[in-house]
Amino acid sequence: MTRYIIRRLLSAIPLVLGIATIVFFAVNLAPGDPTLYFLSPGMTQDVIEQMRINFGLDQPVHVRYLRWLGAMLTGDFGHSISHSRPVLEVLVDFLPNTLILSACALFVAFLFGIIIGTIQAVRQYSIMDSAMSVVLLFFYSMPSFWLALMLILTLSLFARNVWDLPIWFPASGIVSVDYDFLTFGEKVRDRVMHLVLPTLSLALVLTAGIARYMRGSMLEVIRQDYVRTAKAKGLSEAVVVFKHALRNALIPVITLVGLYIPVLFSGTIFIETIFAWPGMGRTIYDAIFIRDYPLVMAGTFFFASMVVVANLIADVLYAVIDPRIRYE
Amino acid sequence: MKELFKKGLIGLGAVLGLSSCGGSDAGIGSNDPFCQQVIPAVETFMAEAREAHPIPDEPRYGGTVVLGTIGDMPDGLNSAVSSNYTDAQHQQFVGLMTLINYDAGGEPRAYLAEDWEVAPDGRAVTFHIRQDVRWHDGEQTDAHDVAFTYEAVTDPLTAFPNAAFWDHYVKGPDGVEVVDDFTIRILLEPHADFMDPFRTLGILPEHLLGDVPRDQLKLHPYGTQCPVGNGPFVFAQHVPQDRWVFEANPAFPEALGGRPFLDRYVYRVIPEQTTLLTELLIENIDVYIAPRPDQAQQIIDNQNLELLNFSGRSYVFVGWNARKPQLADPRVRRAITIGTNRAEIVEAILQGYGQVANTGVPPFHWAYDPGSMPSLAYDPDGARALLEEAGWQDRDGDGVRESEDGTRLSLSIKYNTGNQQRQDIAEIMQQQLSAVGVEVQPQVVEWGTLLQQINTPDLRDFDGVVMGWVVEFKLDDIDLFHSERINQPYAWSGTDNGDIDRLLEELSITADRTEAMALWREYQELLIEEQPYTYFYFPDRLEGVNRRVKGVEMDARGEWLNIKDWYLDPASR
Amino acid sequence: MSDGFLVARRRWRVVSAALPGLPQLLTGRWGTGWTVLLTWLGCLWVLTARYERVIGALGGAWDQSLALVTLVVSLIVAWTWSWRDVSGSDRPLGIGVSQWDLAARAFSKNHTAVAGLIVIIALYLVALLTPLLAPYDPAFQGNLITERYVGLSTVHPLGTDNYARDVLSRLLYGARISLAIGFVAVSISVTIGTLLGAVAGFMGGIVDGLIMRFVDIVISFPRLVLLITIIGLFGSSIFMIVAVLGLTLWPGTARIVRGEVLSLREREFIQAATVLGYSKRRIILRHLIPNALGPVIVAATLGIGNTIVLEAGLSFLGLGVQPPTPSWGTMVAVGRDDLLGAWWLSTFPGLAIVFTVLAFNLVGDGLRDALDPRLRT
Repeated sequence: MTRYIIRRLLSAIPLVLGIATIVFFAVNLAPGDPTLYFLSPGMTQDVIEQMRINFGLDQPVHVRYLRWLGAMLTGDFGHSISHSRPVLEVLVDFLPNTLILSACALFVAFLFGIIIGTIQAVRQYSIMDSAMSVVLLFFYSMPSFWLALMLILTLSLFARNVWDLPIWFPASGIVSVDYDFLTFGEKVRDRVMHLVLPTLSLALVLTAGIARYMRGSMLEVIRQDYVRTAKAKGLSEAVVVFKHALRNALIPVITLVGLYIPVLFSGTIFIETIFAWPGMGRTIYDAIFIRDYPLVMAGTFFFASMVVVANLIADVLYAVIDPRIRYE
Repeated sequence: MKELFKKGLIGLGAVLGLSSCGGSDAGIGSNDPFCQQVIPAVETFMAEAREAHPIPDEPRYGGTVVLGTIGDMPDGLNSAVSSNYTDAQHQQFVGLMTLINYDAGGEPRAYLAEDWEVAPDGRAVTFHIRQDVRWHDGEQTDAHDVAFTYEAVTDPLTAFPNAAFWDHYVKGPDGVEVVDDFTIRILLEPHADFMDPFRTLGILPEHLLGDVPRDQLKLHPYGTQCPVGNGPFVFAQHVPQDRWVFEANPAFPEALGGRPFLDRYVYRVIPEQTTLLTELLIENIDVYIAPRPDQAQQIIDNQNLELLNFSGRSYVFVGWNARKPQLADPRVRRAITIGTNRAEIVEAILQGYGQVANTGVPPFHWAYDPGSMPSLAYDPDGARALLEEAGWQDRDGDGVRESEDGTRLSLSIKYNTGNQQRQDIAEIMQQQLSAVGVEVQPQVVEWGTLLQQINTPDLRDFDGVVMGWVVEFKLDDIDLFHSERINQPYAWSGTDNGDIDRLLEELSITADRTEAMALWREYQELLIEEQPYTYFYFPDRLEGVNRRVKGVEMDARGEWLNIKDWYLDPASR
Repeated sequence: MSDGFLVARRRWRVVSAALPGLPQLLTGRWGTGWTVLLTWLGCLWVLTARYERVIGALGGAWDQSLALVTLVVSLIVAWTWSWRDVSGSDRPLGIGVSQWDLAARAFSKNHTAVAGLIVIIALYLVALLTPLLAPYDPAFQGNLITERYVGLSTVHPLGTDNYARDVLSRLLYGARISLAIGFVAVSISVTIGTLLGAVAGFMGGIVDGLIMRFVDIVISFPRLVLLITIIGLFGSSIFMIVAVLGLTLWPGTARIVRGEVLSLREREFIQAATVLGYSKRRIILRHLIPNALGPVIVAATLGIGNTIVLEAGLSFLGLGVQPPTPSWGTMVAVGRDDLLGAWWLSTFPGLAIVFTVLAFNLVGDGLRDALDPRLRT
């Protein structure tokens, strides 16, 4: 098992390097450079040159690439141009926020997906089965930014100002402005309230796929002999499904985690922008346009690494849950 | 299932728990040694100051105001390297102090400098610095700080972005003389509006930044991670891309009004404008800086909110590249301007919140006098006549004019990604100008790429470009239109007019306003003749403000102008 | 054959001649019935209500000619199909039924999928007929002062936008752009993905290793970040968008095809072909790819839906199809600014996207069930 993990990790290195290289050249070969953003009337060519030297942009691309690569291998990701601080510090600020949001979304999506998929499998071909499919697909088919705006309008603006509901959600940010003055219980509540809308926006899009997969997997399991035996023994349907079938049906669904993480990270670009969530997606997006090369590179590098790690975890989980699979 | 659910909940709780610990500390994820040293000093001094200056027993004191905008402050309070409008506002009115500021009529008045004298020959200004201003870490603010700041921003190594400010000043250590600890003299050449830079430049603490190499100032943690100012508000927290928190400075000089009414002022970053409007409507934020004109009605309709509007300091225009054969003739450029219904565009795009511009002299400026200028009103027939006169006729009947040698009068107008108003201008021009036989192709370009295409002197890859300028109270178009700067980045039009050169030079050194007024008039008439730009409009600045915030004053000087006098309606708290 | 049967058939023929599709509808085959009937009625309506434009389209621009051809072909196809359907005899079940026939039968039992298919056919018809259908020129700006932001009315059924343009017309023209983007991008990706996947699976060894490592790189990368980097920095012309969308989508297809080919490679008929000495090229193109197509079709159907949503996402970031060309994504993205004031600007294109993508997904799911013998019941 350990050897398998090590081998997988080693084989991931060229993968991550390949991704970083593609991004490096895409960003660096694009027209324009960061000094343009600081330009204003009255600035002479000398000043611009000076800035370029200050940012280390006076070298040709391949030299910068090798330099970047060398520095990165020693753990030095350079200085972010737009944030005026080490890239690593910027990542430390933003990455946790994205991870919290993604983790919550993933959890909610899988929870909904597994429950709905199971119900659909148990009631295959019923009205409920197709109705649930259509409803989930409906959310899946929405552009996620539009879904997010709809949630803001309904669950926050209309809920408070039009329908006078007792509960409505804040439309932006991670915590309230008076967060520091709250008690522990209130703090947790405050965080959860701020998480609800962004999490839903991200999760609802994923649920359809998970539910569909769960349904298929559950159907296969239900048809197997041991389940039939359990049913024949006179056990109630709920017990059979939840105690015997669910565990086995979950195995293939778990591999989806690895598949969905890149999708999730893409989604955060929209969601973090709309909900003013200070996370990595939004930061990379801004950095691309400011040509903040070091930050773009480091950000995508981390995204890619996390995807690789997530795939690995999915595989390992697979092995842990399914006794039939044994790795060398 | 249950088991899984429970595990999941625990996981979720762990995530939340972890983050609620992570979020509650200072918020500056910085373990930068500079900040580690500075923050405790500020905390100690502030604790002492709170002891020494108890909050007056008055209902107006207290509370938090939350303000929402679409962007973070890139350089924060580091006035030596910033060019951003919001940064500048916070340097002038929130965290730092400027030597002087302007009253409502645009006349200089005392601020950090309690008095000043101008040498009779106009070659020096002597400022007397207030003696009761302390930096937020307890150090005295004095003439050495001013001298340091002046030297830093005039040093080419710093790459101060508004270098044009100092065109007529003696740069570097030679230009500044510390007379005594609270008196400083700055040397300059006599010129118009020479006090203006002292209104914008926030003074920086020498004791903290004096040793920093000038080319490292841009990357220094001072600006965004742990700024130490001397203004009415003390920096408390900056969570990048999320918020800035400022607290009242109890040690702010009594003579300048003392401690601000508000306990705290929070600046929030919300990039999506629909979200911003929602947050204002559900009263999660109190002030929405610069809503779009089409959001104005929503704010007006809400009884808890008030819409403020004032004439801003920006204008929007289409800059023409007169190097192109289609645009070389000023008559063509003038035909395009009068062939565009700009009044309708102001009504349509700005919902009436703005004024048509004919030149770059904005309404807040004393030289603004549109009534005395030649008209550039919408006149499609006049436009057609001008084009005919310039030799552009539709020779092949395709609806687009051609010149003698077959060049089509077809122009691409570029604008940057994500700017709806500029896109609107390009699209409406396309429609309106097709009626006079000019083909316009709107073309959107990503901002960085666009800057490169228009600013690179030997590239200039554009016909027209929709752009905007934010001007200071001191107007100076030398970088835009003077023929000597034709190979500098901002000479977009590339027009070369000796009369314009002469007037720009005279204007920059004419200090007397009556004398200058005549020159301004002549200059603007030439602009109208020459049309290096098609000026579109001066947009009003709109602001959505919750009615519970009282005492808010905003005008061309800025939104943060009197933030220390804002207070919350005691009944609303 | 009894007389009664012939009489019935003659009667159906009469009905079919007037209203093709009605016989099928009345005999319980509502899917095909509705499709044919609606096509027939819709096309007739265009012919009569828009006859001036139909005449004007003769010798008009290419899209008008295309619309005209579509109109005529649809009418002919709908009529003859219905006629032959009621005239011909039912094909016997059982012997000589191909895999595809079985799949078609399974598919037609899936009501939601059939509904999705009807929507898609209708969408493509509408997209092709747009020059005849749209009430206004999509770029035409009305009076900017008085005709902007007009709500729903008889003159402008879906209101007008910020330039006083007709939203319905833009929605119809937007259908062409959005559907075309989805279709072309997916075609590019399916072609590349199928070829590379088949080559990788069949050749194995180093070729397989290289191709699949590259696939891994592209797949484990948040696609949107790549799209933003390329489109954002190098310009967002419609060709660029389609090309980049297509060129980043293929790895999924390649993986699927490779998997299929790997299992097919071991099957007797491929081995027979190898023994017979057929060239690799011929084996890949003639034997492997056609047999691996099922999952590819499913992936492609789902891919079109995804691409349309993704284009909308790019528009939100300001990187979608550039104005004044209307695409649904751009319309939603631009209209979102006025969600509170003029809700119709983004709601209708938003719903159009949702229902289109929903339709593609329902069909995709239906196809997956139909093409996978294990799931067939």
